[in-house]
Amino acid sequence: MTPWAVKGEIDYEGLMERFGAEPITPRLLERIKRHTGGLHYMLLRGVFYSHRDLDAVLDHRERGGRFVLYTGRGPAGPVHLGHLVPWTFTKHLQEAFGSKLFFQFTDDERLLIRDDVDEGLAGHWVLENAMDVMALGFDPENTEFIVNTRHASRLYPLALKIARGITCSTMRGAFGLGDESSLGKMFFPAMQAAPCFLASERAGEPVPCLVPAGIDQDPYWRITRDAARRLGYPKPAQVHGRMLPGLTGDAKMSSSQPLTAVYTTDVPELVERKIAEADTGDHPSRCPVYQIRYMLLTEDDDEAQELYADCLAGGMECSECKARLAETVNSFLRRHRRRRSLIRSGVEKMLE
Amino acid sequence: MVVTPWEVSGDIDYGKLIEQFGVQPMTQSLADRIAGHAGYIHMQLRRGVYISHRDTDWWLGEYEKGNKVGLYTGRGPSGHVHLGHLLPWFFCKYLQDAFDADLYFQMTDDEKYLFNDHLELEQTIGYTYDNALDVIACGLDPEKTHIFSDTEHIQHLYKIGLKVAKRVTYSTAKAVFGFRDSDNIGMIWYPALQAMTCFLQSDREGANIPCLIPAAIDQDPYWRMTRDIAEKLGYYKPAQIHAKFLPGLAEGGKMSASQPETAIFTTDPPDVAAGKVMSAFTGGRDTVEEQRRLGGRPEVCNVYAYYYFLFEDDDTALREREAACRSGALLCGECKKQLAERVKAFLVDFQAKREKAKEVLDDFLIKPVE
Repeated sequence: MTPWAVKGEIDYEGLMERFGAEPITPRLLERIKRHTGGLHYMLLRGVFYSHRDLDAVLDHRERGGRFVLYTGRGPAGPVHLGHLVPWTFTKHLQEAFGSKLFFQFTDDERLLIRDDVDEGLAGHWVLENAMDVMALGFDPENTEFIVNTRHASRLYPLALKIARGITCSTMRGAFGLGDESSLGKMFFPAMQAAPCFLASERAGEPVPCLVPAGIDQDPYWRITRDAARRLGYPKPAQVHGRMLPGLTGDAKMSSSQPLTAVYTTDVPELVERKIAEADTGDHPSRCPVYQIRYMLLTEDDDEAQELYADCLAGGMECSECKARLAETVNSFLRRHRRRRSLIRSGVEKMLE
Repeated sequence: MVVTPWEVSGDIDYGKLIEQFGVQPMTQSLADRIAGHAGYIHMQLRRGVYISHRDTDWWLGEYEKGNKVGLYTGRGPSGHVHLGHLLPWFFCKYLQDAFDADLYFQMTDDEKYLFNDHLELEQTIGYTYDNALDVIACGLDPEKTHIFSDTEHIQHLYKIGLKVAKRVTYSTAKAVFGFRDSDNIGMIWYPALQAMTCFLQSDREGANIPCLIPAAIDQDPYWRMTRDIAEKLGYYKPAQIHAKFLPGLAEGGKMSASQPETAIFTTDPPDVAAGKVMSAFTGGRDTVEEQRRLGGRPEVCNVYAYYYFLFEDDDTALREREAACRSGALLCGECKKQLAERVKAFLVDFQAKREKAKEVLDDFLIKPVE
């Protein structure tokens, strides 16, 4: 499992152990609750279940310090529901902690690894995807988009400082890169790591950075944590999320397999068809139709609980459940697209 | 003999190097052809500074067909500039004037930082601007000279750098530059940035413009790598004209092992520089009597090297000086005194230009494409 391909059933607990991350314990949840009032459903439900150094970020916060958030996206296509899971949680964190968000578009990486993506296409998806991000309700005043090719100067000096401490053998170990990898691919992780330290660099004092991301991205943060030590910046902290399973029984919704995912751009009929054809599995915990509700769309605990019980009791047929989900998804997407269309010019300005 | 962009050691056998690198030896007719366009033959062409080339004849041919041509050179800003560094820049100025060519001048402050653990990035960036004053003082045209810092101007460079970086594999870089797995990932990336400048003018102007790189021959591995991918990216292969090493003018060069202060920096107070000349290593003999009898050895003399490459433009005067040295008529003390005067006069003038350069620095820095 590397940041480029997630295949097969994912053993999330195993990954956490293998990567040496910590579980989000009930005690840590209590501590978060003291800051945020209530607990976000994604924390309660264990969608975000693992972390590194989240307690250190809270320590800093409790001493009166601020911290920033950082996440991102490789802009090579439309956004699907799976992308919205970590972003929805990130938006909650921004609101709850008043934190600045750095959102990185790794169009450089897309150009490096894909032959079918050129500058124009990447630029198109940057704008489209950024509208999806902002439609979730992020605070424009407190959100900084970094488009790597466009804003390279914000990152390159930091990336150099990070790169000087990472050897090629580390890249072999962490990313499975090797002799046939391009020079760009070898260097890129330094560009992805740089925003972790941007706030500290700009402020001239330690500003911790919290990265909500899929656990598959963990190798980046491991090398970044090593770099932090050398540079004297706070190690970036992470909260790791589970990935929304694909509709066809795959471990996650995947942009490279359109039928596994519902895109924010899918028309209602297509949404209905994709969901109708979904592979429901034998139990809600393995059913993408249930997981889309549980992990993302159904915030109400009673409602989620009821569905779960109904399913197990045989009180609801899969076809009925699918039809209802399609309705929920379509009404969500209608609202999402409406918000999206209203913010275009503001987002364009943010991307300049 | 070891020649890579980071290491030059042993006795340099240029014949072997030309063969090993697969380049063409410099010829009189090529020098004459350049001189024909310039209106005069540059001292460096007369004195054999340029020993080999690749496709310089093609580059000239493009110019002669009426096509626009460009120039690219650079500097690793890890310290102050000494007189030896100025040679290729004077030559660039000559070529710029002769061919009405834009010069892209790359300050590789990222490279110096990535390859030298004792340097901080802020230091190398600082030297970029300090060294840029020296470049400007060489008399380049502000309208046609584009100096850039890899780090501070990455905005103009990154996209095209990515195109190069996508098409060169780690194994190729290892074969060309001798990288190892223990090297850092910035070092691995850097060749893409040095290569991209070959295409920068073409990219900015949206037209394919032949690029000639006057540089020391140790930089050749970069251009071999670049030439391999140029056509895949839709650009011309860059042409090169290779300078030989001039250790006599450099810091700690091989002629100067016993004389650490051989290098004369452009920022040296003229009197200090004169003092360095007076204590320079020469090809003189142990005693005056011996020198009168046996004569001096200009071929191993740092002082003669300064005359040869920088301070005696007149071929006849140079020949006379050489003859007087070899015959024992001209002693080192006198010869040094004359050089010290010239160095002093040169520095007074150059430093005045360097001061003026501070006011026009911005005019010389790369600008966004309009």
